[in-house]
Amino acid sequence: MATEVELHVKVEIEGGIGWIRFNRPEKMNAIGALTRQQLGDAIKQAERDDAVRVVVLTGSGRAFCSGADVTEMVQGAAMRTPEDVGNVLRNEYMPMLMRLRTMPKPVIAAMNGPAVGIGASYALACDIRIATPEAYLLEAFVNIGLAPDGGVSWLLPRLAGTGVAYEMFFTGKPLQAADAHRLGVFNRLVPAERLEEEVRDLANHLASQPRQAMAGAKRAVNHAITSSYEDAMEFESYLQEAQAASPEFAEGVQNFLARRAAKK
Amino acid sequence: MIGAMGYEHLLVDVEAPIATVTLNRPRVLNALSPDLIRELTTALSELDADDSVRAVVLTGGPKVFAAGADISDMADRGAVDQLRRDQTGRWAPLAGFSKPLVAAVNGYALGGGCEVVLMCDVVIAGETARLGQPEINLGIIPGAGGTQRWPRTAGKYVAMEAMLTGQPIPAQRAYELGLVNKVVPAEVTVEIAKRVARQIAEKPPLAARMAKEAVLKAFESPLSEGLASERKSFYFLFATEDQKEGMHAFLEKRKGVFKGR
Repeated sequence: MATEVELHVKVEIEGGIGWIRFNRPEKMNAIGALTRQQLGDAIKQAERDDAVRVVVLTGSGRAFCSGADVTEMVQGAAMRTPEDVGNVLRNEYMPMLMRLRTMPKPVIAAMNGPAVGIGASYALACDIRIATPEAYLLEAFVNIGLAPDGGVSWLLPRLAGTGVAYEMFFTGKPLQAADAHRLGVFNRLVPAERLEEEVRDLANHLASQPRQAMAGAKRAVNHAITSSYEDAMEFESYLQEAQAASPEFAEGVQNFLARRAAKK
Repeated sequence: MIGAMGYEHLLVDVEAPIATVTLNRPRVLNALSPDLIRELTTALSELDADDSVRAVVLTGGPKVFAAGADISDMADRGAVDQLRRDQTGRWAPLAGFSKPLVAAVNGYALGGGCEVVLMCDVVIAGETARLGQPEINLGIIPGAGGTQRWPRTAGKYVAMEAMLTGQPIPAQRAYELGLVNKVVPAEVTVEIAKRVARQIAEKPPLAARMAKEAVLKAFESPLSEGLASERKSFYFLFATEDQKEGMHAFLEKRKGVFKGR
């Protein structure tokens, strides 16, 4: 295999868990054109593959993802004009990030290290974030004279509040793991050596949960976030009807009753 | 019901007081062929005449509403040929259907499919619904009312964007624009539409018919004419048994039973 393509993104599927790993440790997992292509394919595959019940997004080496490959932005062919920058966001990043947020299965960010720029966008687009104390979020855009992108103007105020978001956008300084955890942006902090194990445990647990019920939770949350309280509750009620008609509910109730009987 | 009613491209399911018509050419995304249009307009004429039916749900099923016309059938036709076939004019029985029509839309409603939606009275959209007029990509424009009903429904600029870019509008945005009444999970779209139809079917049918006519009149006439016509319908309804029943039931705090007389 003389012409083997570099693997910027590694995918492993084991026991219902699809691990998608940024795989350019020598570049702190910076995202270039090839990365985007491979990442897009990996995310699409993970969504489509029924054998994948839970998706984990993580990085190899010290970083989760250091963001867009700036050398490529300056020298590369893909982003020669300002319009190219916008096009890459609209045509490449947007579909991928939307897919992470809306695919009907849980997506966990296993944050082995810093998530910077568009890297932070990926971390924040996941449903749950488990991080090491070395991980941080950095909206570095302002440091190179850019405004935020990759959906963080929408995600970060919702996750951390407007004040924290603005401070990050204005100063270009990191939100450290402890603060992110305190704010609820990171669900959990675990030591680096235990990160994979903890994430695997959680992912295994989620892989055993009723998948349509979890998918329903994502649909409900994503619908609610852009609608009124009233609309959201009405939408929930219809989702619940669909769910109440599913074998998952019949089975769930049976199991519940069996467990209760066993306790007596 | 496919055999029972003798339709090849439709399922017609009458559960009085409602009926559900399902476009049923899933392999071609319910493309609106001349045969399908003929069947649909025939079915609607029959349902319009059937007194046991008071409201109708029109759907394309769980995956797609209708992804436009049969392009293969049109590609090499000439103008005169098209005019003679008057495919678009054949939609008149749908536009003129006298009973309330509830559209249940999942997936694509494109071109003619979208124009069919615009001829319905209430639209329930699944999350997956996409409404659009992509005709411009083929060097034509909508021909079954799209250019007229979009601006009357969603305003000039939304209509222009849809016609000129050909880009379909997703369900949630369609809801915000007032193009659809409700967005629901796709699994229950048809069921929710049926409930809305049943709710409407409980109402006095003559009043429902007059209400539908009056609202549609708003798109066709100057205000003074619309108001005059509304007033006539209003007085007319006092000549019906259902009006007496409705008002007495209200006063007696019971539910009215309406006969359509």
